[in-house]
Amino acid sequence: MDFTITEEQQDIQSLANQILTDQVTPETLHAYDDRNNERYDGRLWSQLADSGLLGITIDADKGGMGFSFNELSLFLEECGRVLAPVPALPTLVSAMAVQKFGNDELQAMLGGVVSGEVVLTAAIEEPGNQDAYAPTCTVSNGQLNGIKQGVAYVNQATRLLVVANESDKVGLYVVDPKDASIASTALWSTTFEPQAHLTFSNTPAEKIGGQEAVTYLLQHYTVAMCAYQVGACEQMVKLTSTYTSEREQFGVKIATFQAVGHRTANCYIDAKCLKLVTQQAVSILAEGGDAALAVNVAKAWCGDASHRISYAAQHLHGGMGVDRDYSLWRYALWAKQNELLLGHTTYHLEQLGDAIAAGDFDIDA
Amino acid sequence: MKLAFSDEHEKLRQDIRAYIGELMTDELKDELSHDFKGEGGGPIWKECMRKMGRDGWIGLGWPKEYGGMEKGAMEQYIFFAEVAKAGFPFPFLTSESVGPALAAFGDESLKSEVIPKILSGETNICIGYSEPGAGTDLASLKTRAVKGDDGYYTINGQKMWTSLAEFADYIWLAAKTGNEEEKGKHGSISMFLIPMDTPGISITPVYTLGSVRTNATYLQDVRVHESRLVGAENGGWQVIMSQLNRERLALVSHGPSCGLFQKVCQYAAETNLPNGERLIDQPWVKMNLAQARQGFEAIKLICYKQAWAIATTGNLDMAEASSAKIFGSEFLIEAARGMLEVLGYASTMHMRSEHNILAGEFERLYRTLSILTFGGGTNEIQRDIISIFGLSMPRPLRA
Repeated sequence: MDFTITEEQQDIQSLANQILTDQVTPETLHAYDDRNNERYDGRLWSQLADSGLLGITIDADKGGMGFSFNELSLFLEECGRVLAPVPALPTLVSAMAVQKFGNDELQAMLGGVVSGEVVLTAAIEEPGNQDAYAPTCTVSNGQLNGIKQGVAYVNQATRLLVVANESDKVGLYVVDPKDASIASTALWSTTFEPQAHLTFSNTPAEKIGGQEAVTYLLQHYTVAMCAYQVGACEQMVKLTSTYTSEREQFGVKIATFQAVGHRTANCYIDAKCLKLVTQQAVSILAEGGDAALAVNVAKAWCGDASHRISYAAQHLHGGMGVDRDYSLWRYALWAKQNELLLGHTTYHLEQLGDAIAAGDFDIDA
Repeated sequence: MKLAFSDEHEKLRQDIRAYIGELMTDELKDELSHDFKGEGGGPIWKECMRKMGRDGWIGLGWPKEYGGMEKGAMEQYIFFAEVAKAGFPFPFLTSESVGPALAAFGDESLKSEVIPKILSGETNICIGYSEPGAGTDLASLKTRAVKGDDGYYTINGQKMWTSLAEFADYIWLAAKTGNEEEKGKHGSISMFLIPMDTPGISITPVYTLGSVRTNATYLQDVRVHESRLVGAENGGWQVIMSQLNRERLALVSHGPSCGLFQKVCQYAAETNLPNGERLIDQPWVKMNLAQARQGFEAIKLICYKQAWAIATTGNLDMAEASSAKIFGSEFLIEAARGMLEVLGYASTMHMRSEHNILAGEFERLYRTLSILTFGGGTNEIQRDIISIFGLSMPRPLRA
């Protein structure tokens, strides 16, 4: 049991934090509200590339830093802290799957990820289907058919990873998102993140892996989202403790009321728990161990903590929490999106319950 | 960052588990199953404590000079959690909480008198903080120690909730020594470690909901030499805070929760419903168990992080210790409810009843849980600590 954040990891945290807090402010984010502009900051994306951060987990021979998922999760925490308008999560998690399972052509694209020229994304969710591990999209003879919903950053992406079934076996496929066979409808997502509804009709798709690759992508994607929410939740708690320490009513700071202090303390505990269970899942994935159960626990907490902290933070801010000129309201959007994406709390508890019924009784094992 | 056991720690855990398994004999379980004997103190329990001491387990993480094995705080925690998981009523306040505070603040003669006896399993210590009029507002305690010219203090007062006093060898006692107006409420308190057989100390039992005996302890003209002071005169508050911080971790160790969870899972897997299906395969049972595990996983990690922090820095973050105490206590109450649902009506039969299930452990359990949210400092005070020290919010108003 080692909870140490190494010096190198601290450097990554502070580098990411410095760039992101410099470049992402309530004012810059305001540009994307109500879909006035596509929520993609190309200049920030280049800056993150120049700093080397987009190459965190990419091997040194492709120009990356060659770190593990531990380090990527710290970077994504910082992205979540400011709600960065860049496709860091889909690109860098997809890049990890490409690096592990991709063919030569895909591997050759990883240099472009490091330099910021290549955006990758993943098509995972399907309408009417809440189990990403059992897709209804199908592949036969190298052709993909079916529907994926809420796919992030399709317009920016060079390649799209798709989870689909072929002869009743789940697999991971790569698709060119610009292919003419794809019907793409732009969506108005709750976070204003650019998302598309994709209908594939005999779309050329190349298989890069089977069950193992699908599990790898989905587990990393899920836990990356938990890490993103760790940052987002910590920021909601910080905004709340700061605001209530300044706001006065009845002639005193409202933070001096126990009712206020205690509800904020509950948020602190939720954020701590989410962080720990996320670190546990990250650590197991980074070591290549069997992470299924830890992923269920982390995402169940992600949904619970995000939901509870979001509404408590809103409440403790009073009207300021919902005012679109203040920053807190946007965190409520991401809390809900990331609660429901890739399995909500009840879904993951159901999975966890199945694992327990199958004999996983020892919490220390 | 690597949140998994090393091979070495995993082996240690298995070794301790096997060791405790042998210790938990039917005779011991029978001794503990009597009302008001569940926390130990009986002859078989005492012999088990001495055996654990002889075999080096109690002092696993302690320095050799006191008779310890000089492993780390993580090893000490692994031991403690496994013992608790097995259901052995380990007197954690003595070795995990008072012991470390005594090591940090006591003078050499007191340490060399008491700590080796703690580590050999021969000594138990009860805590004398609360009084009839001083609970959450501990610093308002009234027990007074007045120093004479001969180097002896004369102590008068009454303590409440002195658990284990009926078989304790020492009392860890807080008393006023200074002038409150001059030194303040907190700056006028001193800590003493006093043998229970000192003339003038008497106890009367208090029987509680959870079949746990506690006591009222009376001190009448108790004469105590100044060498029994722990820390400086009027420097007791710091000693108390250090002890309480450790107590919070020990109170909510993930060991007992994990042990209970395992037993319920095992029961549900081995029990069939009238229609032949396993209890554990029912969707509502899986949901109850999954919700329990979701929280227990977090408690486990909170505890390991604190053990790691003690091992690497020697310190506990106050807000994190309070988080452990709040979440560990409040979540266990909810999870126990869900686990009792899985066991059903039969889980309400007493340990000494015919036809109980899981040896009646859950019937006693639900009765013992309420003390966790106020014992060791109420959860309201813990939330104050988080808002002040974890979130830098201004101190809450007090009337």
